[in-house]
Amino acid sequence: MSESRVLVIDTNREQGRSVGAVLEFVDFTPECWADVDALCAQATRPREYAAIVIGDLGDSCESFYAWLKRDPQFPYILLLPDQVEVPHGLHPDEHAVLQLPIRHQQLAELMQRVSVKRMDTEAERMLSRLGPSGESAAIQRVRSMIDQVAPFDTTVLITGESGTGKEVAARRIHALSRRANKPFVAVNCGAIPADLLESELFGHEKGAFTGAVAQRRGRFELAEGGTLFLDEIGDMSLPMQVKILRVLQERSFERVGGNETKQCDVRIIAATHRDLESRIVSGDFREDLFYRLNVFPVEMPRLTDRIADLPRLVDDLIASLQADGRGDVALSDQAVAALQQYAWPGNVRELANLVERLSVLHPGQSVGVEALPERYQPAAMPAARQGGGLADATAEPAPAAAPGLPESGIDLRDHMASVEMALIRQALDASNGVVAHAATLLHLRRTTLVEKLRKYDLGR
Amino acid sequence: MDQIRTIVVDDHRAFRTLAGALLDDHPAIEVIAFGESGEEAVELCERHKPDLLLVDISMPRMGGLQAARLIKAQDEPPHIVIVSNFDDAGHREHAAAAGADNFIGKAEFMEGVDRVVTQLQALRGAT
Repeated sequence: MSESRVLVIDTNREQGRSVGAVLEFVDFTPECWADVDALCAQATRPREYAAIVIGDLGDSCESFYAWLKRDPQFPYILLLPDQVEVPHGLHPDEHAVLQLPIRHQQLAELMQRVSVKRMDTEAERMLSRLGPSGESAAIQRVRSMIDQVAPFDTTVLITGESGTGKEVAARRIHALSRRANKPFVAVNCGAIPADLLESELFGHEKGAFTGAVAQRRGRFELAEGGTLFLDEIGDMSLPMQVKILRVLQERSFERVGGNETKQCDVRIIAATHRDLESRIVSGDFREDLFYRLNVFPVEMPRLTDRIADLPRLVDDLIASLQADGRGDVALSDQAVAALQQYAWPGNVRELANLVERLSVLHPGQSVGVEALPERYQPAAMPAARQGGGLADATAEPAPAAAPGLPESGIDLRDHMASVEMALIRQALDASNGVVAHAATLLHLRRTTLVEKLRKYDLGR
Repeated sequence: MDQIRTIVVDDHRAFRTLAGALLDDHPAIEVIAFGESGEEAVELCERHKPDLLLVDISMPRMGGLQAARLIKAQDEPPHIVIVSNFDDAGHREHAAAAGADNFIGKAEFMEGVDRVVTQLQALRGAT
């Protein structure tokens, strides 16, 4: 992921070095080899590299191509013109021929595309494998809704907190639809600056704006015949909402700077972690667009609402890392039990990050509770989660049993904050999100609670 | 207001030197450590618990995206900014998917840092 190493193999040292210099200039890490046989004698593998630049191989073509075959799929290949023989089985999308003398712009543009493509491929591998898996009633309900809607071209709106797996659900809808052999294209509307989003979605004509040096297809065109996943649509600006509404109504659009109206056949799946209805009330989201999108709503459950799935998710995540050769770790039963007690504000994504962290920091080991970051350890958890929660505390609350002080000490401020957060969450749940009622339960003034909600980013 | 304790991680020494010199003059930022790899970013953030991490997206073996994912799983993770030579929608989307809080293109590094500082100070003011 975001690997910077590029292998440059060229018996012409000078030429190899000049390619390396440009690569370094655009933030890659060239490894230049002039001795092909010496490279082949190394234990390195092709897929360790973001790309491979092949120059003059001298008499060692065959041994180099044998080395390339150490991995079933090799990285993007850049060929220098004096290397006429293209490696066998190379797809046109997987290689390019560089011009000599090496031009900075050509190499930089190619490497920019290589970099995005590599990140796309790896993200896709992770996401397409992951489900949504689990046997809890909550996730089974989601799966059955997905299975129900997938075969039709119905627009789907997926809601749910950050990290609950909205893109995973969208990919499953696509995979089970009649569009499965057409592209699935995702756009994170929240991550792209507003002024770039329009050309990213609809493409642009040459000269449409400064920097539009060539014509470019947008994601609607890239998704033609398939599915377009509009993630974080709640973050989209009002002017863009108008444009999306028009595509939904008329199934057509124009490229930025273009006059030609293009028809499109794309199924839309939108997602957001925001409460769109309250954004309609505040004037930040168009009601007509909401109704166009909300044809078939799917709500992803929080991880805590399907905590019984956690052991299975941990196993799946570990298996996925192993399959990618990106790590190997095991968690003790106690560690898994401890994780089932945690509040998981970041949901499945937070769990995935934790498992990846453990596999990198404790490769090949079995991880116990003590090796978890403190916030995942029972001692650091709010007393409310160990003993009776807020709901039971109808009588005069007994002073909460203090958790044992771990040997390494404890960050008291952090601990108190997590206790506070957990109780606020429970109070909000118990009062159906009505802040005034939750404040009464917590013996706080409403304004004080509002302040705390802002502080802990609990306002949903 | 306290300075923002910052760690800068980039495998290119030239960029570390440049960023160090530029950030040295920034009144709101105190650079407490430099790192050269994703692995080092993880280790430094665990040890120093900084407020802010500026990490290069493209590094050998562990790049900034994986480092961001691992660091977000530590206790008291910093505000993470992915710094990238290439600034386009694809790179920004992958930074967001890795859990990074912001993205800065290297071509407008200091303008980006200023935006992040303003944002962090607003967050501090709110608590």
